[in-house]
Amino acid sequence: MPETILEMRGVEKRFDGVRAVHEASFSLAAGEVHALMGENGAGKSTLAKIVAGAVSADSGDIFVDGSPVTIRGPRDAQRLGIAMIYQELDLFPHLSVAENLVTGNDKFKEHGFVRPRDMDRFAEPALRQVGLTCSPRSEVRSLSTGEKQLVSIARALSMQARIILMDEPTSSLFDDAAERLFQVIAGLKQQGVAIVYVSHKMDEIFRICNRVTVMRDGETVGTRGIREVSPPDLIRMMIGHEWKPREREPVAPSGEVVLSFAGVTTGKLRDVSFELRQGEVVGVAGLLGSGRSEIGRALMGLDRCKRGKVWLRGRLSTIKSVADAFKMRIRWLPEDRKLDGLMMRMSIVENATISDLKRLSSMGFVDRLREREGALSCFQTLSLKSNSVTRAVGTLSGGNQQKVLLSRCLLGKPAILFLDDPTRGIDVGAKEDIYQIIGQLAAQGVGIIFVSSELPELLRFCDRILVMREGSIAADLDAGLTSQEEVLTCATQPPVSEAHA
Amino acid sequence: MRSSSSSTARQSFWKKLTGQQRDVTKSLGALIAIFIFASLLSPAASDGSNIFLQWGNLTDILRQVSIVGIISLGMNFVILTAGIDLSVGSILALSSTVVALLLTRWQPEMGYAAQISIAIGAALLISTASGALSGTIIAIFDVQPFVVTLAGMIGIRGLAKWLSSNANVDVGFGQDVASLFAAIFRGKPMIIGFYVVLAAIFSVLLGRTVFGRYVRAVGDNERASLYAGLPVRSVKLWVYSLSGLLAGFAGVLYAAENHQGNPNSGVGYELDAIAAVVIGGTQLSGGKGTIAGTIIGTLMIGVLTNMLRLNNVDSNVEMIVKGAIILFAVAVQKQGKDVR
Repeated sequence: MPETILEMRGVEKRFDGVRAVHEASFSLAAGEVHALMGENGAGKSTLAKIVAGAVSADSGDIFVDGSPVTIRGPRDAQRLGIAMIYQELDLFPHLSVAENLVTGNDKFKEHGFVRPRDMDRFAEPALRQVGLTCSPRSEVRSLSTGEKQLVSIARALSMQARIILMDEPTSSLFDDAAERLFQVIAGLKQQGVAIVYVSHKMDEIFRICNRVTVMRDGETVGTRGIREVSPPDLIRMMIGHEWKPREREPVAPSGEVVLSFAGVTTGKLRDVSFELRQGEVVGVAGLLGSGRSEIGRALMGLDRCKRGKVWLRGRLSTIKSVADAFKMRIRWLPEDRKLDGLMMRMSIVENATISDLKRLSSMGFVDRLREREGALSCFQTLSLKSNSVTRAVGTLSGGNQQKVLLSRCLLGKPAILFLDDPTRGIDVGAKEDIYQIIGQLAAQGVGIIFVSSELPELLRFCDRILVMREGSIAADLDAGLTSQEEVLTCATQPPVSEAHA
Repeated sequence: MRSSSSSTARQSFWKKLTGQQRDVTKSLGALIAIFIFASLLSPAASDGSNIFLQWGNLTDILRQVSIVGIISLGMNFVILTAGIDLSVGSILALSSTVVALLLTRWQPEMGYAAQISIAIGAALLISTASGALSGTIIAIFDVQPFVVTLAGMIGIRGLAKWLSSNANVDVGFGQDVASLFAAIFRGKPMIIGFYVVLAAIFSVLLGRTVFGRYVRAVGDNERASLYAGLPVRSVKLWVYSLSGLLAGFAGVLYAAENHQGNPNSGVGYELDAIAAVVIGGTQLSGGKGTIAGTIIGTLMIGVLTNMLRLNNVDSNVEMIVKGAIILFAVAVQKQGKDVR
């Protein structure tokens, strides 16, 4: 076993009196990839942030290379060779790649003035190491999510970090970008860089990690060598009891066609045609930016149709705004629950009922009793547990926030539901609850479009899978007959005819 | 919480309150503290009684805060949508000028009551239209509220000055229609009464209605509101229109109270109104805040100003103290907030 470069003992952290991390112990060896797992709210991000200096621990000991250290801020961490890649990527979108690498970087020597050439020279080795081919002068916001991730890693490398913490690095990556990331991680490992890998995704962890530490309710439940455990073991450690995956049998739907796109072309979509039947779950796979979210935008009247038609139950759609779509009993769950979905400072109930407030009011006055009852019945369906419904939604875990948003959809008693990556970045238990409700809704005859970055869940729950690529439907596959490989191939490779041309 | 009391009864009471109610309770505590402080520091009258606590003084405070108080109700709605309205001081000036002009220069063949109604109606209409114009530009063309209402602040004051040739329009003390108007509206009970009634109406509007909920939602997350099917544009249009209407109404009261329409009045009132809203716990980033908080903020400034004046503190020092109070109030609100 190589030497331990980071060790934490009895680390404690409270936010406003609420325990986030309790008696946490963790050790990291040089050159290992160490997974940190746990349900949302288990404290894994907080623990990682303590190491990175973004959050300071209330008590406990941290040792780097065997000597005790205090990490008061990111600068301290940088000096110790620690860098963190945040889930939401802490890059400056309007600055260039090279500028992002040098900003706040002690290893870049500047004397008041910086020359672009010096920055390029400084950035190049790290960019090469992560395999980024873009120019160091390109603006970060013009890059794809996967490339931004690599820029973050290059930044860590240029700081000469020996410990890199990654907080759910693949949560917004599609499988090919994730693949690239894994290759970079393998390279780093060889150079003796130690990586703390925070993730929910079992397959990744079993693929790239050496050891795994599981957290539950702020405590570190245990550390295991990856060869000593199986996924069910880890799930048991995470949730503290047995977990059974529920599957939904693909059904050949015979229901009426509730929605049909005929050659729809918008700013981002090219000639998209498909049908959705009553009670059918149609999955949409594709890279970020492939146009999968834009199907929802076109449906909700947010993007103008340049060509093509949208038919609703055999009638031409006249939807011009989200409110119009709601009237046609179409609901959607936007991709980014924080930016596009929730009003963080408003309460759980207020968030759930905001779209149906008119129905829950008389003469413009909100009928609070009916509002509360309506929301609570949805919360019950979704097994959303919260001790107080007047709590601000911002204080909930990711999974519960998503359930609040889903409650908003359910309150509208939708006939068509567009779910844009509903399980992104949420814990296993909440995922299962969401899968279950999708199954129930489909059984009640709701037509569901289910966008996801995770292929296994599409394969498990959908009847058909539309694979999007560059704004068009690259394939329309039967979920029961296809495989992860086939979907991935369709999503990433141009069709044969184009490849020849 | 940081409550000094450790009795379980108090704590469970505190726990039952929503975050919003806690904020208002805290602000109320601060107001009571300032009130007690003011009565302790108050000089004694010749008969030995406490000047600050005299009925006449307390109602004076209320009358003094009423005009800015009415403006701050509208400002509260605007700020809740994450906007700002810098034009209210100018709208007050325009409204006071319009109402005074129509009562003094215009001599129609009609009863006094009709003419007063028309004059007030016209002043309110032009004020509301001014607000609606800002609101339209902000909502439809998506320009920053600060810039739009800054333009309004300058332009509307210009209009008021132009209409009156930059001169005060005096309202007399005689038997004419203008004097009658002033006599009706300048009374203490009248002005305070209007403030109380409007505060109650707007408190209900914010707290109980669909519109109020939409206002908070838009301020909390505008994009999410749009995606949740809310009429974001019309909500914005409405809050600026309401702000204009209230500023216009304040202008009518101002004209009566001061016996003149003054195109140079209301300078800096927008800042006083913003201060009251902020002290009352409404966040400039929108989404969070209550009318009750704003009323408390308004009263805090009123009591404090009164206290300083009773003790003959220099009016310049008064401003320094006001500035410090704003910072102090915001610092106190920052404490114990949930981390986002």
